[in-house]
Amino acid sequence: MKLYCLSGHPTLPCNVLKFKSTTIMLDCGLDTTSVLNFLPLPLVHSPRLSKLPSWVSKDGTINLEKELKECAGRVFVDSQPEFCLPEKELLDLSTIDVILISNYHCMMALPYITEHTGFTGTVYATEPTLTIGRLFMEELVNFMERVPKAQSATCWKNKEIQRMLPGPLKDAVDVYTWKRSYSMQEVNSALSKVQLVGYSQKVELFGAVQVSPLSSGYSLGSSNWIIQSHHEKVSYVSGSSLLTTHPQPMDQSSLKNSDVLILTGLTQMPTANPDGMLGEFCSNLAMTIRAGGNVLVPCYSSGVIYDLLECLYQFIDSANLGTTPFYFISPVANSSLEFSQIFAEWLCHNKQSKVYLPEPPFPHAELIQTNKLKHYPSIHGDFSSEFRQPCVVFTGHPSLRFGDVVHFMELWGKSSLNTIIFTEPDFSYLDALAPYQPLAMKCVYCPIDTRLNFHQVSKLLKEVQPLHVVCPEQYTQPPLTQSHRSDLMLELQPPPMPYRRCSVLNLPFRRSYERVYIMPELANSLVPSEIKPGVSLATVSAVLHSKDNKHTLQSVPKPPPAPPSKKRKRVLDEPPLVLAPKPLLSGAVPLEAFLATLQKQGITEVKVEETADGHILHLQAEDTLIQLEEDGTHIVCDNNEPLRTTLRDLVLRFLQKL
Amino acid sequence: MDRECVSLLPGVCEVLADPGTSLPDDTSLEKLLDWFTGLIEAGGSLLEACPCLLEFISTVVHNTASDPGVLSFTLRLTGLVSATEDGFKMLQERSVLNEVFNLKHWQEAGLWEDPCLRIGWIQGLRSMLQHPEALSFFVQSAFLDPLLQLQTDTSLFVASAANQMLAHVLLFFQPVSSPGCNGVDKKAEDDGRTHTSAEYTAVVTSISQYLKESLVPKENTKHHQSLQILKLLALLLAKAGPPLRDKLLQTVGDSLEELVTAGGSELTLPLMDVVLAAYSSSGTDERVTRLLASMLNINKPADLIHAAAAFLRRGRCDAVHTARAVRVLLLPLDVITGQSLLGTNTTADAHQVSVVEQLKSKTPCISMICVCLTNTPQIALTPSGVLPCPPVLIITAVLSLLSICSGVSSSSSTGSSEVYRNVIGNGKVQKCALEALTALSSSPGAMEKISEVFTVLIQYLDNPDSDPTVLHKSYQALLKWTSVCTDFSLVTDHLRHDLIEVVKKRVCDMRWEVRDSTVEFLGHLTGVRVSLKSVEVCDSSDVLLGVCSTTPLLKEALQDSESYVRASAIAALAKTLTHSWQQGAALTQEETEIVSRLLEILSQDTEGFPRRAVVQYFISWYSSNSSHLPLSSSGSSASLLMQCVRSVLSQGSADLDWEVKVHTLELAELLLDETFSAHQGYRKGSDAHRAPSHPYGVVSEQAHTLHTHAGTHTEGTESDLATVVEQGVMSALLSGLVDCDRPVALKACRLLITLRETVCTLSLGTLDATASMATVSCKLPGLGWGKEIIKILRLKRSDRAREADIAAQRNLSDADEGGESVSVCEALRLLGLDERLDVLTQSSDHIHNSPLSLLQDILTASAAHTQPGEEVIVDCY
Repeated sequence: MKLYCLSGHPTLPCNVLKFKSTTIMLDCGLDTTSVLNFLPLPLVHSPRLSKLPSWVSKDGTINLEKELKECAGRVFVDSQPEFCLPEKELLDLSTIDVILISNYHCMMALPYITEHTGFTGTVYATEPTLTIGRLFMEELVNFMERVPKAQSATCWKNKEIQRMLPGPLKDAVDVYTWKRSYSMQEVNSALSKVQLVGYSQKVELFGAVQVSPLSSGYSLGSSNWIIQSHHEKVSYVSGSSLLTTHPQPMDQSSLKNSDVLILTGLTQMPTANPDGMLGEFCSNLAMTIRAGGNVLVPCYSSGVIYDLLECLYQFIDSANLGTTPFYFISPVANSSLEFSQIFAEWLCHNKQSKVYLPEPPFPHAELIQTNKLKHYPSIHGDFSSEFRQPCVVFTGHPSLRFGDVVHFMELWGKSSLNTIIFTEPDFSYLDALAPYQPLAMKCVYCPIDTRLNFHQVSKLLKEVQPLHVVCPEQYTQPPLTQSHRSDLMLELQPPPMPYRRCSVLNLPFRRSYERVYIMPELANSLVPSEIKPGVSLATVSAVLHSKDNKHTLQSVPKPPPAPPSKKRKRVLDEPPLVLAPKPLLSGAVPLEAFLATLQKQGITEVKVEETADGHILHLQAEDTLIQLEEDGTHIVCDNNEPLRTTLRDLVLRFLQKL
Repeated sequence: MDRECVSLLPGVCEVLADPGTSLPDDTSLEKLLDWFTGLIEAGGSLLEACPCLLEFISTVVHNTASDPGVLSFTLRLTGLVSATEDGFKMLQERSVLNEVFNLKHWQEAGLWEDPCLRIGWIQGLRSMLQHPEALSFFVQSAFLDPLLQLQTDTSLFVASAANQMLAHVLLFFQPVSSPGCNGVDKKAEDDGRTHTSAEYTAVVTSISQYLKESLVPKENTKHHQSLQILKLLALLLAKAGPPLRDKLLQTVGDSLEELVTAGGSELTLPLMDVVLAAYSSSGTDERVTRLLASMLNINKPADLIHAAAAFLRRGRCDAVHTARAVRVLLLPLDVITGQSLLGTNTTADAHQVSVVEQLKSKTPCISMICVCLTNTPQIALTPSGVLPCPPVLIITAVLSLLSICSGVSSSSSTGSSEVYRNVIGNGKVQKCALEALTALSSSPGAMEKISEVFTVLIQYLDNPDSDPTVLHKSYQALLKWTSVCTDFSLVTDHLRHDLIEVVKKRVCDMRWEVRDSTVEFLGHLTGVRVSLKSVEVCDSSDVLLGVCSTTPLLKEALQDSESYVRASAIAALAKTLTHSWQQGAALTQEETEIVSRLLEILSQDTEGFPRRAVVQYFISWYSSNSSHLPLSSSGSSASLLMQCVRSVLSQGSADLDWEVKVHTLELAELLLDETFSAHQGYRKGSDAHRAPSHPYGVVSEQAHTLHTHAGTHTEGTESDLATVVEQGVMSALLSGLVDCDRPVALKACRLLITLRETVCTLSLGTLDATASMATVSCKLPGLGWGKEIIKILRLKRSDRAREADIAAQRNLSDADEGGESVSVCEALRLLGLDERLDVLTQSSDHIHNSPLSLLQDILTASAAHTQPGEEVIVDCY
């Protein structure tokens, strides 16, 4: 069993598991942090961005006037943003049989994998994962296509040039594999390969293994996966949460008794407690609005935003923010808000029960009804006529490189009254803000990451007790910036197996058993003999028939009676006689009784020597040795066949035959 | 004694002696005993006053079918009676004592099993043992052995009572050896206690022998007995005079040493109590000193820390041992924070290794650190010769621990990282450390740390994970440090900016507790007066937050959804503005807005707290405003104030909350004080009637100081009275008088009496004055309280109608449907204020708490019980 690790990002994993004869891809995360190296895509012409100076190397030898711009001491690529894809060279992607998706954040690279690689398999995901994943992809494509950039910068990727570049650009890895966003057509094609599954539904793969999603409590429809055969069980734990937010709670008990547990998607903010951050978010928001400023919240269009809106729903009255407008701007804002209300079976119990009441599960419906929350597909159109300040705007993309958020950064960045509050943990806020410097706007970083923290995960592992744990190498040491926090790492016995991008791990468990079926008529013919109470044995002669990873024992077909042949009978044509197999022996030779028997046979001069495995009997008169060992008996007797036969028979008396 | 009670007592005794009766509730016997005790203490003889008791005792003792509760009561009663030598003799003559305390009798009747009886026996004997005869009786009856057995009784109450009793015997009868020794008074010699010394010596010998033999547990598990004996020893050694103490120490010394060496965890603290008790009474004893030294060197770190803490708490300074205790207590802090509190050149002792081991597991770690932290303030105050490090280093260590707890510790710290995970984010340690930090502000050299303290505290206030109590404690610490700060130049602008930002954020917090603490903090901060080097005295809020920051934040908090926060904001605003009121500064637009918002709260807020706070706001405004010349002042501030006072008086006295009403009356009192303070015969409310305040009554928090006028008002009482009426004071007082809440009515009644004494006595003096006073009248509404006052007045007038008071007739005819105008003076005289005051002063349960009512209850309950089918369920709550 092998694990190929195609992504180095611990929360956006992409691993391939070879297990029995199947090849299973676990998640398909797209590392979008690469976009931070690019200039933002403004929706409206931005004089500031267009006037940025080109970057020129100190000695003036490199001048990529069109490709690299400088802003506040950092260099950015002026091109359509590109993403860092999962590793494609480690194994042939066309051999992948199935892809298991655990949540909508971890499927953004799907079109890159399923299209143009020869992939012919199936993708399994839950319904909300597919629906919201599609919204995310649509939004991404929309953000990119809305602001087309004619040029695609490539010269800077030249290794010689990259080496000379400053700052993070110089250290970016595998830049030549970075790719632009996919098209809507590719999205549709990729998503057409998805087959929907429900929690705990068992899906057979080629009869060899069974896969089954379990609720992971992180987001709508998010799942962990169990991959098991008859005798082996692998658990794949991706983004999971034990907090009571909107999704169905995590199913922990089904993870028990795993041989291997692959652990990814822990919190990216182990020191930031989500509750504290939520409080921080609310108080900073209220503080800004009271002072007459606007609040910008760069966020994804689904997920934490539901919880933020729910929290604000309770908070705005107590903080006297009743009259402040809240705007949610995204090409998929409407769908996201509405879809969330119909996935009742995927919600936490509390919200599920609201389905039977005349009120929607999420209170954002009420915010919309009372006109406190308004949503728009983009800043163009209705929004511009209804826009009122001071206000709170939720919009994407959290990287601040594309989407409507770019416009608000340009609009509000100059005033210190306004505040930008980062709630998504995926991007470093300082890097995200880099191309907007100098910035007067106040910045607040309160990342809300509800995924498991180290404390919770070690409790979980203590409970489910997997034999081996595989995890990204980042989890096996404290964070670089907080090396004294030994509580922020996994400490297990045996220690977890770390992986990094491009690792290939031999998973440490041997397959020792295989299930074989026996046909009734064959079973009927067996003659079991009891070797000890409750245990019977029988010898079987049969034909092993293997098909679709199922193994069956069938009776040996009787040789067809020789067709009457006119030809001359030849001795050689006789079918080879099937010899009855020799009986199998079992049991041990008791020394004392054996010696007594020997004496009866007149063999008296026996010298017994003890060895590590048993005894050696030296029959001195006969000059013969008998080695009695645990798993074998040898009679060494030169040129005295009758004596050997006699001794053999004596030994056989003490053994059972099958 | 009340004659009525005496007449009821025989009946009650009969009821109690009857085994079939039931009592109103299980506290009635206790109350009865309390009453008897009170009678004895008052100097009466019980048997003389109630001869029936003797009969009662002998009847009950012979009736083993009695309820064990009644039997226990009887034993204790016997003890009480025999506490005096006369009583003792009388009981002895009737040979009642032998019967009552006869152990065998009770055991044979099978009643000894009941702990209630055993405790009655002990307590009865305990009450009796007040004179030498009793001791003789005690010794002759051989009660000592059973008493020693009861010391390890299965019932904790019995065991504890037996312990107390043993201590009592030894301490009470100890002979007086030298003058001035503690615990024994001179009077003892006159009692002839010395004559009993033979018996006493025997008792001492047996008890100390018993202590010696039973102190060290025979088996590893039998700690109970040792524990009891240690408790007894601690009791004894704390109070024993030298002969007894020396005798005890001499007898049990070996056993104590054995126990200390054995080092059982459960016994460490009680053992330490004993050693410390011995140590503080006989500091020079070599053996005791040795014991103490070994207690401060026991092997188990957790026990050792507790022992050291106990030693420090005793506060007896002894350089050697204090130094040792300090080292023990500082060690865990040293280990975790890596601050070399114990000096660098210490030889690593074995103890340190075991402390580090203990700190690695969570529960002992937290408990040990909390003990250390609690003691740090005291350690910092110990003389520098004893302290292994400068006191400032202790502050540094606490600060460092706080940083570790919040997870931001600098990596330069060399402390044990394995211990970190136990304390990171631990609220208990954080709270303890913050409390310690608050207390450390007064330790020597603290000022040089102020910048670091501010940094850590602001970081705590900013930390999103700090829970509300941690935040509250951080605020308290900040206040304390601010109040002791002498040089604010140490607090950098950067820190001030951070503080402003964090406070602004916290007033918007989601949790109301946090908003409340923040608002309170803002209020307190303005109360902390600081003197700066260059500038004159000003409040710390100006220094730290800047002048204009506080008020807008507080004004915003008036809109808070949580009533507590609104109330705190109002209180904080009052504190913030006090200074400008005192200086008579002109009213700002902002203040005017605040005032109208406050009046709105008073009239509309659904919760009581903010409304109470509003009234108090005006009280402090009124009392601190130096320019408040009623009506005569032309200042806008004063006129707004008087306008507000009028509406506060009318709205506050009509409020539903009794505390609001009481506060309103306090405001009225201030107005009265202000108006009449120059008059002869006027006693300020704060001087008069500060008599028994009701336990639930409102006591005004601050004593309001009034700025009395320069001019005297011997003349013009009439106009003053008219002013007071016009301000609405009279209406507030009259409505308060008929209020259904006792504290309100009481307050109003007292104020009205004061007013009557001022106004009416004056008017009695001269006829002219009377005539003019009579013209000052006050309008009563025809509804509610007005109607009630009119009713009272009419009733009184009809009583006086025969006297044909013409003026009153005239006034009566003035009455119209809407209400009535009455002469203030007349009303004050007619309302029967003194009778009302008598009724109101008595606590509302005075009837139910009298012994008479108790006796009646017992009789009634038994009567009800004898009538079949009528179950009386008495709620004893």
